[in-house]
Amino acid sequence: MSDFLLELGQNPTARKAIKQLGLPIPMPEKLKRCKTPWQERPLQDYDIALGGPANSAVLPFLAKSIVVAGANPMVVGDDKALAVYAGPGEAYGRPATKLDPENLPERFRTHALVFDGTEIKDTSSLKEAYDFFHPLIRSLRKGGRGIVIGRPPLMQKNAEFAAAQSALDGFVRSMAKEIGKKGATAQLLYVEKGAEARMEPALRFTLSPRSAFMTGQPLQIRKTLKEPSSVPFVRPLAGKVALLTGAARGIGKATVRLLAAEGAHVVCLDRPQDDQLVSQVARDIGGSVLLADISDPDAAQKIVSELKARHGGVDIIVHNAGVTRDKTLARMKPQYWEQTLDINLVAVTRITRALLEDGLRDNGRIICLSSVAGIAGNMGQTNYAASKAGLIGYVKQMAEPLAKRGITINAIAPGFIETRMTAAIPIAIREGGRRLSALGQGGAPQDIGEVITFLSTPGAYGMTGNLIRVCGGALIGA
Amino acid sequence: MAKQKKKNDKPSSRRAVVVAGTRTPFVRAFKEFLKMDTIALGAAAVEGLLAKSEVSRDELDAIVWGGVILPGLAPNVGREIALDLKLPHSVEGMTVTRACASGLQAITLAAAAIERGDADVVIAGGSDSTSNAELKLPQKLVHALAPMAFGKATPADMLGVVSQLMPISEVLPRMPKIAERTTGEVMGEAAERMALRNEISREAQDEFAAASHHRAAAGISSGVLRDEVTAVKTPAGKWVHSDTLVRADTSVEKLSKLRPVFDKKRGTLTAGNSSALTDGASAVLLMSEEKAKALGYTPLAVVSNWAYSGVDPADQLLMGPALAMPEVLRRSGYELCDIDIVDMHEAFAAQVLAILKMLGSDAFAKARLGRDKAVGKVDPAKLNIYGGSVALGHPFGATGARMVTTMANELHRTGKKTALLGICAAGGLGAAAILEHPDS
Repeated sequence: MSDFLLELGQNPTARKAIKQLGLPIPMPEKLKRCKTPWQERPLQDYDIALGGPANSAVLPFLAKSIVVAGANPMVVGDDKALAVYAGPGEAYGRPATKLDPENLPERFRTHALVFDGTEIKDTSSLKEAYDFFHPLIRSLRKGGRGIVIGRPPLMQKNAEFAAAQSALDGFVRSMAKEIGKKGATAQLLYVEKGAEARMEPALRFTLSPRSAFMTGQPLQIRKTLKEPSSVPFVRPLAGKVALLTGAARGIGKATVRLLAAEGAHVVCLDRPQDDQLVSQVARDIGGSVLLADISDPDAAQKIVSELKARHGGVDIIVHNAGVTRDKTLARMKPQYWEQTLDINLVAVTRITRALLEDGLRDNGRIICLSSVAGIAGNMGQTNYAASKAGLIGYVKQMAEPLAKRGITINAIAPGFIETRMTAAIPIAIREGGRRLSALGQGGAPQDIGEVITFLSTPGAYGMTGNLIRVCGGALIGA
Repeated sequence: MAKQKKKNDKPSSRRAVVVAGTRTPFVRAFKEFLKMDTIALGAAAVEGLLAKSEVSRDELDAIVWGGVILPGLAPNVGREIALDLKLPHSVEGMTVTRACASGLQAITLAAAAIERGDADVVIAGGSDSTSNAELKLPQKLVHALAPMAFGKATPADMLGVVSQLMPISEVLPRMPKIAERTTGEVMGEAAERMALRNEISREAQDEFAAASHHRAAAGISSGVLRDEVTAVKTPAGKWVHSDTLVRADTSVEKLSKLRPVFDKKRGTLTAGNSSALTDGASAVLLMSEEKAKALGYTPLAVVSNWAYSGVDPADQLLMGPALAMPEVLRRSGYELCDIDIVDMHEAFAAQVLAILKMLGSDAFAKARLGRDKAVGKVDPAKLNIYGGSVALGHPFGATGARMVTTMANELHRTGKKTALLGICAAGGLGAAAILEHPDS
């Protein structure tokens, strides 16, 4: 399961030799990941270059978020823009400095580049994005972050505005592919007008090492839901009950640890055959166990009764359990189709429906694990891709009806993640899965877990109905 | 703290008053007071207090003491002082530790007990002897030596000791650094970061430090500070009469020549604008107002309010007073403009200036204090009018009672109404107190 080229890249002698000999061997940059639970200041001492106009509605929120998260703001712009940072800078001891892109200090390095593009109203003004990033992109450190903030194009009445904002999407996707080889990622936050206050949790997440394997993604931040009573940044899931299917191994096992670290009580669900494994996982995190075969039609009711009896209900549902039964369509036996669809899709809708009727509390969270295979399709995976694509439509349709209960529903599409499931793939295809991406490596189960955890928190109330790829910038699908 | 109380005593209306205060001279560590440990220094201060106030030993209820470097085998320094001075055994004692705010903590604990009616007459103060800080053997060596110490060593244990002695560098005693346990950061480095983050210039720090020295020197020559100091006779027979760290002849120019000590390349903190490692002790005599009057004393000041705060030591370690001072103002119903004199402990000039900036910032008040407007700008003419720790030195536990003594004396001498005190402390703590003229 280990990635030989990643390990090779860590060896300084090997790196030097390969560079000197000019060998075309890709050595991906090892990604920086978080080892601790959510902290007060996730961006402590980060040097972050910021650009954008002074009159933007987003700027005061951006300034406060950056400073409160512990970063040092370096502002490209006029004194009016700098003045917006004065208040938060004074309050939190993070004074902003002026950054002149024409006169950068020697050996200038940044942890992140953040550009506010929300005021780019026409296509000729797109040059402002180029003007900000062009002189600064080389200064981005390994494992750095590029963030662009924009307005959702499809919500704009003005076609010129829509075109300009849409252009930012292609810009960010390409930038992500360029900076991927230094382990850096780029994201685009499409913030609906009036939802600026909801940016802060997303900024804290995307700028921190927690978003290590997510890149080139547009995240929609909407004002669909009402503001919750509190948005804690430390132990955000304290007092919450989470249900996660497929907790015994892989992504599920990594995710339950992360949820528990933020204070959630996690009900770890898996098949009775995996009793030992899932019990061990639950014991390690002080969670509880629920044994069920989710493809069993009775499982949904059993889950509802257990959750209600033991915990009074549930706050977070993570539909993680999934199987592959790969075969080309002509060779696929009926049970291969049935098992895959039953577990990956039918069970999800059945269990969700049951819990929505009784069990899922208001202000809850539903997260479905889709896949890039669901977006792009794959040889031998007509069943798998169908099930994973089905989840995408389900999530998009459910977002609005659930909003009035304060519940968000999102889908995550993992790319190539190093798990037992992917270890079984033939080596050539496995290497392809790893290398054909901006970051040039497979992700860790933890990487998916971090995004799931973020979406479960109160602070993610601005995000619903989204499909979020966490794929390291994989080439397959868009 | 038990003594027979009259049944109609109303604790809520009792006020704790400062009746007298004194201290030993403050001297640089490893110099004149080298051979006097914290108990000896404390005893010198308390003995001086008893002599100055002429209070009868039989009237004493208790002693509450503060210190940072506490002797490992006798940490209740307050009680040891009482025993050394042969005070009546009924004078019970306790010792408290809250880093640099230990002395103030001792005073407010005593004041609280007096307000409750648990005591009438309490000695409160603090001391520290940096010169006599015990050097700690690495714990693994202590564990390895245990069988030998308890007389039950086997040959295997002896070999175990030898193996624990290697590598030798891990076993040698280590000089204590003033560093935060949770972050490993040296306090001076934390102050450097605060200077940077709050944009406090080297010039501003040196100007502040020079003023501290000049004002302290003026206070000594005018007699104000001299009257607060009790001469001490060292075990060698030498008399020490006055503070030795104050430099009347310093200047911004001289201070500007010193090299930064915590960040050699870009630092702004120097030995000149930081407080020095010091030995010394100080104490105040607190009484209930009724008791003071009954014994014929004129109270100097009332210890009327106090507040303690906690901040994240990994963020801005020394900003505690920026929360504690507004809180004590809120508790007392005063605004900063109502305060006549302000005394702030000068761990570093940069730290005081950073806190002053926070108190003067509307943005800080809105974001961190839940106030509409800034706490206010402290008038430099009212701040540290007789200098501060940068000039006088900072024996950790002794600073609180030094400040209370000086402020109480000033209120009494001038008729001013209110004094506000602020002290930052390691561990991300802040302390503040308000003293009032007894007539207000």
